[in-house]
Amino acid sequence: MTNTSNMNLLALVKIEWLKIKKYPAFWWMFGIVALTYPGTNMMFYYGYSEGTKGKEVASNVAKMLLGNPFAFPETWHTVAFLSSVFIMIPAILVIMLVTNEYNYKTHRQNIIDGWSRGQFVTSKLFDVVIISMISTILYTAVAFSFGAWADYDNIGRWAEQLQYIPLFFLQTFAQLTIAFLLGFLIKKAFIALGIFFFYNLILENIAVGYAKFKLNDLGKFLPFEISDRIIPSPAFMSRFGKDMKEAYEKALDAIPMHIALTLILTAAIWGFCYWKHKRRDL
Amino acid sequence: MQEVLNINGISKSYGPIKALQNVSFQVPQGAVFGLLGPNGSGKTTLLSIILDILKADSGSFAWFGHPGSPATRKQIGSLLETPNFYHYLSATDNLKITQAISGRGDAASIDTALKIVKLYERKNSKFSTYSLGMKQRLAIGAALLGNPDVLLFDEPTNGLDPVGIAEIRELIRELANQGKTIIMASHLLDEVEKVCTHVAIMKRGNLLTAGPVDEVLANEDIVELGSQDLGALERILQQYHGITQIKTTDHQSLQAFFPVGTASMEAINQHCFEQGVVLNQLTLKKKSLETKFFELTND
Repeated sequence: MTNTSNMNLLALVKIEWLKIKKYPAFWWMFGIVALTYPGTNMMFYYGYSEGTKGKEVASNVAKMLLGNPFAFPETWHTVAFLSSVFIMIPAILVIMLVTNEYNYKTHRQNIIDGWSRGQFVTSKLFDVVIISMISTILYTAVAFSFGAWADYDNIGRWAEQLQYIPLFFLQTFAQLTIAFLLGFLIKKAFIALGIFFFYNLILENIAVGYAKFKLNDLGKFLPFEISDRIIPSPAFMSRFGKDMKEAYEKALDAIPMHIALTLILTAAIWGFCYWKHKRRDL
Repeated sequence: MQEVLNINGISKSYGPIKALQNVSFQVPQGAVFGLLGPNGSGKTTLLSIILDILKADSGSFAWFGHPGSPATRKQIGSLLETPNFYHYLSATDNLKITQAISGRGDAASIDTALKIVKLYERKNSKFSTYSLGMKQRLAIGAALLGNPDVLLFDEPTNGLDPVGIAEIRELIRELANQGKTIIMASHLLDEVEKVCTHVAIMKRGNLLTAGPVDEVLANEDIVELGSQDLGALERILQQYHGITQIKTTDHQSLQAFFPVGTASMEAINQHCFEQGVVLNQLTLKKKSLETKFFELTND
């Protein structure tokens, strides 16, 4: 890459930051994610501590079965899985950031003022990258804090399973890309948000569940499920019998394929957005 | 004279509706170019195409002799249709974005632009708190940012009060005096007539005429005549050679139309006097843009 294009990319990021930094919804999102990630994990951690703190046999069995999902190195996996459920919070922001441009007609003004149509899409790509990075940083901080706090004896193992950090980023980026696509095509925030929530929370889950039993698990190729399976259920889930263990190992084995599928789908979506935006009337 | 903008055979359809049909014209450097037409005549569509907001079905355009590109757009201060700004940002922050994208001006020039459009006192207020007129002035300020040599205004006086309209008219005159090229779409004919050097008139996607204002307007000499007995005056004028048409304007005078440059006041006066009609009024009138506009755009 030439120096000029490096400078251009940096300029795009700076301009997006000018748009984002005084946008109240951005700071709301930041605040809510900053509370939700530790909050949810705390809830599970509390449940875990309550279930395992007693001296009776049941508690000891539970402790033996579960291990400590929040100790290093498992915290990276557990916290990633639990936090990733809340993709809808940054998704709202992503959808707002793109539909705002249509609403304010700044998607036109940015071009009139001298951006190319490609640069406009790149600027939005950076928005999604920036928001994914912020989510990942918050996740990393929460996972590390739990690791250090839940079982200090294991702190020496902090560097194991660090792959969940880039996986969390990839999953967040991929799913926010779908949110972006909806906002980009539908242009109206409420409709795009409605479709995102309905599909992400309800429709796809039903479809995946149905496909698991009836359609040879074809649901794994659905848009969110592709990247959902980058971070399978936490390891303790594998300790509830042979079937669960097998399912867990199978899920781990499938991660590389799902990484590849996620990269392909995400690249295809962005490719489509560039292609579409260069041709359409604004 | 070098051309700032060259539009060549641009057509654009929305389904069955032909928004633009083979429109071509040139904007010379230093011109104040008025683009006129009734609502829905295709003015904004045309301006949107030359700013790469819409894609033409056919035809081409060139700015400064080069095909339209981000680099050419950066040199043009443009206000298209509506003021487009981030509602949650202040005037200053919005112009920071304009500046960062266009590369025009510096931090100090943001204040300069805001002073010109009289928004400096409110520069830290959010755009969403502005009145319609203030929003419009901010859009003009954004176009002026960094003092570009070419300005494009689509209905610049939209939403402004009479004082605001007069101020913008004065501003446009001042900019024209500085040698800037200004392209201005408007349906306010009076505005255009007061400031424009060139004009193009459009109707239902067709370009009806384009050129210097004097040429577009002066295709006829109109002579206004009056006398005590208008009936007698009309009879003797009908014998006068070279008149293409006689119209009664009111009960005091008549209008006689001549091919451009052929009406001689002395000869007409002498003819009437010799025929026994004494004139109490004799003036050579320039056709108003409004007259011309209605003439061209009325079915």
